[in-house]
Amino acid sequence: MSVVTDLLQQVVEGLGSGAVYASLALALVLIHRFTGIVNFAQGELAMLSTYVAWQLVASGMPFWLALPVTLAVSFAGGMLVERLVIRPVQGAPELTVVIVTVGLFIFVNALAGLVWSFTVKDFPQPFPDGGLYLAGVRLDWSTLGMIAVVAVVMGLLYLLFQHTSIGLVMRAVAGNPASARLSGIRVGRVLMLGWGLAATVGAVSGVLVAPVLFLEPNMMGGVLVYAFAAATLGGFDSPVGAVVGGLFVGVAETLTGAYVDVIGADLKVGVPLVIILAVLLVRPQGLFGRAAVERA
Amino acid sequence: MSEPTGTEATAEADFLTVSGLHAGYGQAHVLQGLDFSVARGEVCAVLGPNGAGKTTTLRALCGMVRGRGSVTLNGTQLLGRSPEHAARLGVAHVPEGRGTFNDLTVEENLRIGAHLRGGLWRRSRVERAAVAADLERVYGHFPRLRRRSGQAAGSLSGGEQQMLAIGRALMLRPTLLLLDEPSLGLAPLVTRELFEIVRTVNEEERTTVVVVEQNAQLALDIAHRAHVLEAGRLVLSGPARQIREDGQVAEVYLGVSALARKAG
Repeated sequence: MSVVTDLLQQVVEGLGSGAVYASLALALVLIHRFTGIVNFAQGELAMLSTYVAWQLVASGMPFWLALPVTLAVSFAGGMLVERLVIRPVQGAPELTVVIVTVGLFIFVNALAGLVWSFTVKDFPQPFPDGGLYLAGVRLDWSTLGMIAVVAVVMGLLYLLFQHTSIGLVMRAVAGNPASARLSGIRVGRVLMLGWGLAATVGAVSGVLVAPVLFLEPNMMGGVLVYAFAAATLGGFDSPVGAVVGGLFVGVAETLTGAYVDVIGADLKVGVPLVIILAVLLVRPQGLFGRAAVERA
Repeated sequence: MSEPTGTEATAEADFLTVSGLHAGYGQAHVLQGLDFSVARGEVCAVLGPNGAGKTTTLRALCGMVRGRGSVTLNGTQLLGRSPEHAARLGVAHVPEGRGTFNDLTVEENLRIGAHLRGGLWRRSRVERAAVAADLERVYGHFPRLRRRSGQAAGSLSGGEQQMLAIGRALMLRPTLLLLDEPSLGLAPLVTRELFEIVRTVNEEERTTVVVVEQNAQLALDIAHRAHVLEAGRLVLSGPARQIREDGQVAEVYLGVSALARKAG
């Protein structure tokens, strides 16, 4: 294998894991756009969704039927979380809201452990084995599948936000909730929708990553760190940035793991932290984000 | 201080009736019991110095702040309703500082104004035609907005943003239009254009307007009636012309300079 194909091989694998980070980062960005909240429990909610999928498959449902059911359950669950957990602290100081999402993190994690135990579970691989070769680079069906799924999610979100009335209403609420209210929009309901949507997008990341990482309650902890790096890099208010950031972080992680001997497989978890730090120092609003401007 | 014209107070004369209105923020008790009414199709100006409670009055009408007392629009109680509910009852409030959706295009801003009509996913052909007709109507009032329809609202000038905010309110087909300091931060020429448009809208569409203004002269030029607020109470009410011509009123409450030409 030549140097170039080896490099390309690493990039392709990076894009595969980047797709997972991208979808969780997308969920983080959606919540942040709508409510200004950074949801530390996003990964745990995705983990819970993945257990729902696992339970359905374990009880005999075919995977591709279990998936839409899981997404629907996640949507309803996200709406419920907004209504019951977040709405009461909406408008409270930032730290209060952060603590609430951290509390939700711990609660969901413990709940999953209680119901499904902390032993690792095998999660079915939805994509066929094997793959194809392109110019000497091996493209696994699973890698291509992950990228395709995230592309489809992006496309659907784009259609929703840009080409439906509800999408327009959601963008209006994200931009200026007070004015939205004055136009007769029931902002609370729209925020519930936003949380439902984010939980659904997050669930996709959990289901995609579970066959690789194996399913257990702490599965999403590491992924969340990468997703935070992706969202920070892309800009916390930019969905496109989240996806670009996710793919970039995935590739950066794989490349440093493969080529920088000092880092290797053990220390590559440091990569997202370095990215977060670098972005916050150089361009705090991220690549696609806009700097917050206070009106005088 | 509601004073029905003639012997019987008709629903037309008492289209908007405010009685015993108290409102404020937390401990700050701003409005100390307001009574006034606005006839259907009238432009009513609420004037007074800074901190008199003008903005609070408008916010109490549209549900942005809570109040005690009674506010009825065409017989329906408005107090205690949320802003989104008030909007559904035909109250369109253009807040101070305009409140446009800066990330959305001009046309999207206007479409948000029409969001109460029609479904969330797809509108029927009739509904789409009605919204398109309303867009035309608003563009007719504000030709500048038509030229900028595809532009992000955040990139507009202050005057254009104020036009957009009023245009969006009109897309609601309001029965009551509330304008909070429309002249704030705008050049005098732009402000005059804006007030002329508000006058036209009122004349052509018979929309009832309550306008809060620091610039008393401008507001009195388009208003039928005016109320002067001081420290949360009405100190004067009457036909706009009479208030405009009363030199003493001008001196005491509205600042001489604003009215010097008229009063002199």
